[in-house]
Amino acid sequence: MMTTSILAAALMACLASGHGEVAPDDTTVVLKGVTVSGQRQHDFQMRTSQSAVQVSHDYLQQHFSGSLMQTLEGIPGVKAMAIGSGQSKPTIRGLGFNRMVVSEDGIKHEGQQWGNDHGLEIDQFAVDRAEVIKGPAALLYGSDAIGGVLSLYTNHVPTEPLSGSVQIFGRSNNEQIGVTAKLGGRHGKWFYRVGATLIDYADYRVPTDSIQYYSYWIRLKDQRLRNTAGCERDGSVMLGYAGYRFHTDLRISDSYSKSGFFANAHGLEVRLSDIDYDHSRRDIDLPYQWVNHLKVLSHTSWQGDRLRAEANLAWQNNHREELSEPVSHGYMPKPDETLERRFVKNTLTANLALHLALGERHELSTGVNGEYQHNRRGGWGFIIPDFETTSIGAYAMDCYTVNQRLKLNAGIRLDHAHTHISSYHDWFLTPTTDGTSVYKERSADVNRNFTSLTWSAGINYAVGHWVLKANAGKSFRVPIPKELGADGVNYHIFRYERGNANLDPEESYQIDMGIHWDNDVVCLQVDPYVNYFPNYIYLNPTAEYVEGLQLYNYTQARVLRYGVEAQATWVIDRHWEAELKGEYLYAEQLSGQKKGYTLPFSTPWSVDASVKYSFQWHGNTFVGLNARIVGAQREIVPPEKPTDGHWTLNLSAGKQIDLRKSKLNIALHADNLLDRRYYDHTSYYRLIDVPEPGRNVSLMVGLEF
Amino acid sequence: MKKIINMSLMMALMTILILSFNACGKDDDKDMTPPVISTEGITANPVNCQQYHPGDVIPFHYVMSDDQELGAYNIEIHNNFDHHSHSTEADDHDHDHDMGECDDDDEHEHEHEHSEGKAWAYNQDFTIPAGQRLYDAHHDIQIPADATPGDYHFMIRLTDRAGWQQLHAVAIKIVE
Repeated sequence: MMTTSILAAALMACLASGHGEVAPDDTTVVLKGVTVSGQRQHDFQMRTSQSAVQVSHDYLQQHFSGSLMQTLEGIPGVKAMAIGSGQSKPTIRGLGFNRMVVSEDGIKHEGQQWGNDHGLEIDQFAVDRAEVIKGPAALLYGSDAIGGVLSLYTNHVPTEPLSGSVQIFGRSNNEQIGVTAKLGGRHGKWFYRVGATLIDYADYRVPTDSIQYYSYWIRLKDQRLRNTAGCERDGSVMLGYAGYRFHTDLRISDSYSKSGFFANAHGLEVRLSDIDYDHSRRDIDLPYQWVNHLKVLSHTSWQGDRLRAEANLAWQNNHREELSEPVSHGYMPKPDETLERRFVKNTLTANLALHLALGERHELSTGVNGEYQHNRRGGWGFIIPDFETTSIGAYAMDCYTVNQRLKLNAGIRLDHAHTHISSYHDWFLTPTTDGTSVYKERSADVNRNFTSLTWSAGINYAVGHWVLKANAGKSFRVPIPKELGADGVNYHIFRYERGNANLDPEESYQIDMGIHWDNDVVCLQVDPYVNYFPNYIYLNPTAEYVEGLQLYNYTQARVLRYGVEAQATWVIDRHWEAELKGEYLYAEQLSGQKKGYTLPFSTPWSVDASVKYSFQWHGNTFVGLNARIVGAQREIVPPEKPTDGHWTLNLSAGKQIDLRKSKLNIALHADNLLDRRYYDHTSYYRLIDVPEPGRNVSLMVGLEF
Repeated sequence: MKKIINMSLMMALMTILILSFNACGKDDDKDMTPPVISTEGITANPVNCQQYHPGDVIPFHYVMSDDQELGAYNIEIHNNFDHHSHSTEADDHDHDHDMGECDDDDEHEHEHEHSEGKAWAYNQDFTIPAGQRLYDAHHDIQIPADATPGDYHFMIRLTDRAGWQQLHAVAIKIVE
């Protein structure tokens, strides 16, 4: 049901709306309505030759389902991958982590994206609107934009001298409560915005009394995952000047979160801790993590008659720590402190772009992106080495409007990256065969240079009620230091991981199609794609044991993936609207030791059927019911287990009340109404047989003034 | 009305289209089953609740098999002084008492001082010759004479060539 007002656009247009562009005021306004008219969809579909979806501010408000990622899950092809501790990471068409980009106001978000146990590190309530590009977007974003891009925009320019909002929200499952407030104003050409969010939640509940982890059997008290409580504190300040031709703004934001790890399934050995976890469901004991992300972002643009110039500069500081009760393992003695891992990453980003209108028909965009990353580690657990990465990329693309019905675009980009990995030695001695002992080297000193040439070309064609799009593109990803330099026990998942310093940049070729048909009543959208990796970087489980644990090593394999997303919306009458949408994805490794197997966490097919009743024509008061059917996944790769299919029933309702000078928004969302017990094949907790949360009701009440 | 029927047909068609994609999975000869650690046809050692003395030898014996090809195995022994529980022994699905522990386990043992001797830890990787589907694993494992008495977990981990892993956990006791 989420999609009724999402503008689903899978056409091919000019990619031009991406990187570095400040929220163009028009798009923020365009998507206000709950039901978007066919003509608007039509126009949006002509904007880009890629498969793109826009999500408006109003949509995010009215369809709030607990978190931003859960709200965005309504877009076919987009999933929130549960990574434990109630947190989730986005995936686009089955690709996540370093195979997609999350950007905030045109700047790529840089934390420890490879990590599988922490969330977005962005204040989701500060997000004004979002845009999802499904498919390769290397042209504008460089490395990592293989699966697609989730662009979040927090830089809407206020139009009133004073405006703001206050929202309170809660969820039943983990007894979450939260409050967020925003204030902004414009005085002449100057404007400001401030925002803050506070969230607090208890251990989350699953419909089971016990789970099995590794070879341990764990009973749960009151069906709660012990120690998964947490909290989040976010704040931001923005100052800007918006003139007729010149615009500049500076935004400083900080996002802090602390959350417990499921106490029974963390670290090497499941021990009976002396900590009384069942004492309180709201406290956070060891093991836990905290992360602080500080971001300073500056955006400046100058708009001439034919020329538009932009400069985006950013500094990001990501500090993350994992703390746990120290245990000895192998030759490692029991450490003295609880700091298991610390990562401090500083990232400097500079993006410069020029958009030039050449005559009536051509729009040329060129740009340069530079980025410097500096990462330092700490703590007694080693997983990634210290590293520095410098990268620079330049691109040029042309958007050619042949006529109103036909648009073509093509672009090319060159990237160069240099990565330096520092060597790392154990802090404890390991005996050798000759009777001495050594501080074993876990990561060697490595210098690597990577160069990638990428391109993209697309076409949009509109005829009658149809819009047809096609896009072909190449994207790439620079191997991350974990893939190049890991050599040790992964303390989280009971395995020994070994990197490969000779990995090549991962490359991906993709062809996307978009078929769109609409009239005033019906809107149909089908987006098939084919994706080929000549050298997908894969963490391969081997038959070998190293230091008592199964060895996983990084290799590269040819991989073929294809899939389709489809969506049909039907406005039955003034009140009723029905929607059907679905997605399917297939992946196969064509070479290497796992030839014939799929990729890990392969998304099963799913179908969503929804009906929605609106109390007035184009009004903001509605009730909707949704049935979500997910297929079984039998295509697995070690160490996965096949997952049965399941279905859930979900309800959502929204109401907007116009007060004298303000608006009151109420959004209610109930997931898994029947409290069914099921497993999500793409969840990290699937490996330890933790079922998905049971019935969960989210409520948000917001006042906008 | 005709319009409604048309729309319904279109939605049904889409559903069928999506579902039919799922049907085209193909069978091939890739290994999809984990290997097996079994006691079939042998007197396996060690088994749950066996007692040993410091200085004894554990005559390890299990049968390992896989439908395609075996990989390697590992034997690891660690103390269970704090009475954590594993679950792969046959009687483990009895939820009424702590799994992986024997009836005569001293529930308060973790409060005892384990001052004499050393908590015994053993961790050894073993290879299996290439091409085997069935392997008879035999080892004599020496318990050190100064091993601290108490409850221990005896873990067997086995892989096959494809990378599937099987675990088997046994609770044993070392007594004076």
